Amino acid sequence: MAYFSGLSDALRITFVQMMIVSFIAMVIFVYGMIINLQKWGAGVTGYALEPEVGSKGSAIRFLKTWWKQVTEESHHGHGKPILEILVLDILFQRRILKRSPVRWFMHFTIFAGWMTLFAMSGMMFAVEMTERFIELPFTAAQFREVLQIPNDIFGYILLVGVLIAIARRLFIKEVREASIMYDWILIGVVFIVTVSGFVADGIRTGDIVWNIGMSGDTAMAYAPPAALFHSVISLLFCIAFIPYSKYIHIIATPLAILANKGGE
Amino acid sequence: MAKKQPSIDTKNLTAVQLMELDSCTRCGECVKWCPTYAASGQKPGLAPRDKILRWREFMNKSYGVKAKLFGPTEISGAELEEFKDDVHGCTTCGICATVCESGINTVEIWESIRANLVKKGIGPYGKQSMFPKLVNQYNNPYLAAPEDRLKWIPDDVKIAEKANILYFGGCTAELRQTKLAVATARVLNKLGIEFTMLGEEEWCCGSAMIRTGQPHIEDIARRVAEHNVDAIKATGATKVLYACAGCFRASKVDWPRQLGEELPFEVIHITEFLADLIKKGQIKWVKSLDKAITYHDPCHLGRHVGVYDAPRYVLGNIPGVKFVEMDRVKEFQRCCGAGGGVKAGIPDLALGVAETRVEDALATHADILSSACPFCKRNLQDGTDSLNKKNTAGADKLEVEDIIVLVAEALGLEVIGD
Repeated sequence: MAYFSGLSDALRITFVQMMIVSFIAMVIFVYGMIINLQKWGAGVTGYALEPEVGSKGSAIRFLKTWWKQVTEESHHGHGKPILEILVLDILFQRRILKRSPVRWFMHFTIFAGWMTLFAMSGMMFAVEMTERFIELPFTAAQFREVLQIPNDIFGYILLVGVLIAIARRLFIKEVREASIMYDWILIGVVFIVTVSGFVADGIRTGDIVWNIGMSGDTAMAYAPPAALFHSVISLLFCIAFIPYSKYIHIIATPLAILANKGGE
Repeated sequence: MAKKQPSIDTKNLTAVQLMELDSCTRCGECVKWCPTYAASGQKPGLAPRDKILRWREFMNKSYGVKAKLFGPTEISGAELEEFKDDVHGCTTCGICATVCESGINTVEIWESIRANLVKKGIGPYGKQSMFPKLVNQYNNPYLAAPEDRLKWIPDDVKIAEKANILYFGGCTAELRQTKLAVATARVLNKLGIEFTMLGEEEWCCGSAMIRTGQPHIEDIARRVAEHNVDAIKATGATKVLYACAGCFRASKVDWPRQLGEELPFEVIHITEFLADLIKKGQIKWVKSLDKAITYHDPCHLGRHVGVYDAPRYVLGNIPGVKFVEMDRVKEFQRCCGAGGGVKAGIPDLALGVAETRVEDALATHADILSSACPFCKRNLQDGTDSLNKKNTAGADKLEVEDIIVLVAEALGLEVIGD
């Protein structure tokens, strides 16, 4: 399995290594999400109620309460169709755009870059897995070549967003003063994952901007561990870490916007 | 050894509200717009973002991963007490919800947390604790006897025993700002609208208890809602008019929730009713006001239920009115500072917010700052008086008046009362 390395047999990150890390990341993620869903499900099911004596937080209770709120009529006189909310408020992030075009550009580039790279990594993984069992009209290596340019484009889109986010937190006084570790960890991790992706790819392909001065045998030697490092922190920070950090907004914010019918 | 218990519980907080705490991205928009945070000299604890963060931390200490693995972390009484003070330093104006990029319904979170803490014996704030006792005893928060509700009614006002339309006066208009009730009744008479009222059978709408986290005390909020709805049903009215934004919001949003069912009548604000009559050509103005008028959107009429255009339409149609807008209007309006129990609990904070809003009005050079809510009127008047004492330019000339009183004047009616 050539997953993520794209080099010779000797330099491959083995399938087993990646599967183990992926499995660990998924276990940590699922455990954290169960705890979060139970924490949310410790709430009551409707207005002004109290939890039943002895009842514990329940993920099912949360999901039922959420769905009930999504589908019930609002007495406040506002509420938009679900499709409009999904497209404009969640995917297009209209609420951020209304408040600050700069912050919208920052967040949208991070969102678009991140999600597209995540999807392309998933597609690459799917092709490599499928190739083991079914003969495809193309090889995994060819598919990787097809993804190379989109990967670069969305990688840079992500990097632009991340750099704006860091610059805001560093150079805008009110943003800097209001920033806490909860915020810094999120943006720091996204930055490290993004840059490590560029570096891993740069070492492997010999890109003069991102190969950090490595070429020839040195690059051959460091490409696999660089790719492994990027893959491992991507899985751990971008999947496993979600329920335990500000990353949780990736899940909670769309749910909140849907529950409140697009918000006021 | 007994298992350690969490320091907080989740009473009144819905599963969705607990999730909303985790959806906050800390963008800081709510902080920029919060009127009490600004009026307090930017006290950090009053910032909506900070309150979300603190309650999320309380939840994580009580129900998060670490709590699951090693048991809950204790939250000190002082921390909860401080949080109580901060969560009551909010007028529930809802601007934080309007600008929230995550679409969090912050107002209802604050109200739920207030009720949660009151149930724990923490809060409410200052004089707010008197609301349930007073309403329980007098059916109004002003220590007035039921028959006092009728004292404002002048001899010329005709109120039918039964009618299709009912005017729900509200405690403040009937017992304190009677000019508002007189104006409403005379306007309806003048326009030939037959209406009835509940009289002594009208009870407090429950808003004060709900906003301050005390609806559960002796089941007061549900009881007053049930009584009022039953009394309205008994009159056979199908349309209920309100000139008080607080009562209007309570009837439209809170009563159905308290009772768990839709109301058997239509809830209409007087400005919506008048706007409709103007569109049908059924209002013949008598007098030109010849004034520049600006309009302050009451939070309970605007952001809470979305009535923005009707009051402007009415004002814009009064002869001789030059309508001017303030800087922050409609869904981005700046609160007057009176709501959420702040006027009763933290009057200095309420006054500070009011002064800022009056300054918005002064910047328009309007002659009259109008609104459609007795609480806004009272607090904006206090703000104007305070600025006048500080010799703020223009404050001595600014008049604060309710729309219905201006409508009455334009219809050539005499408006008496407090």
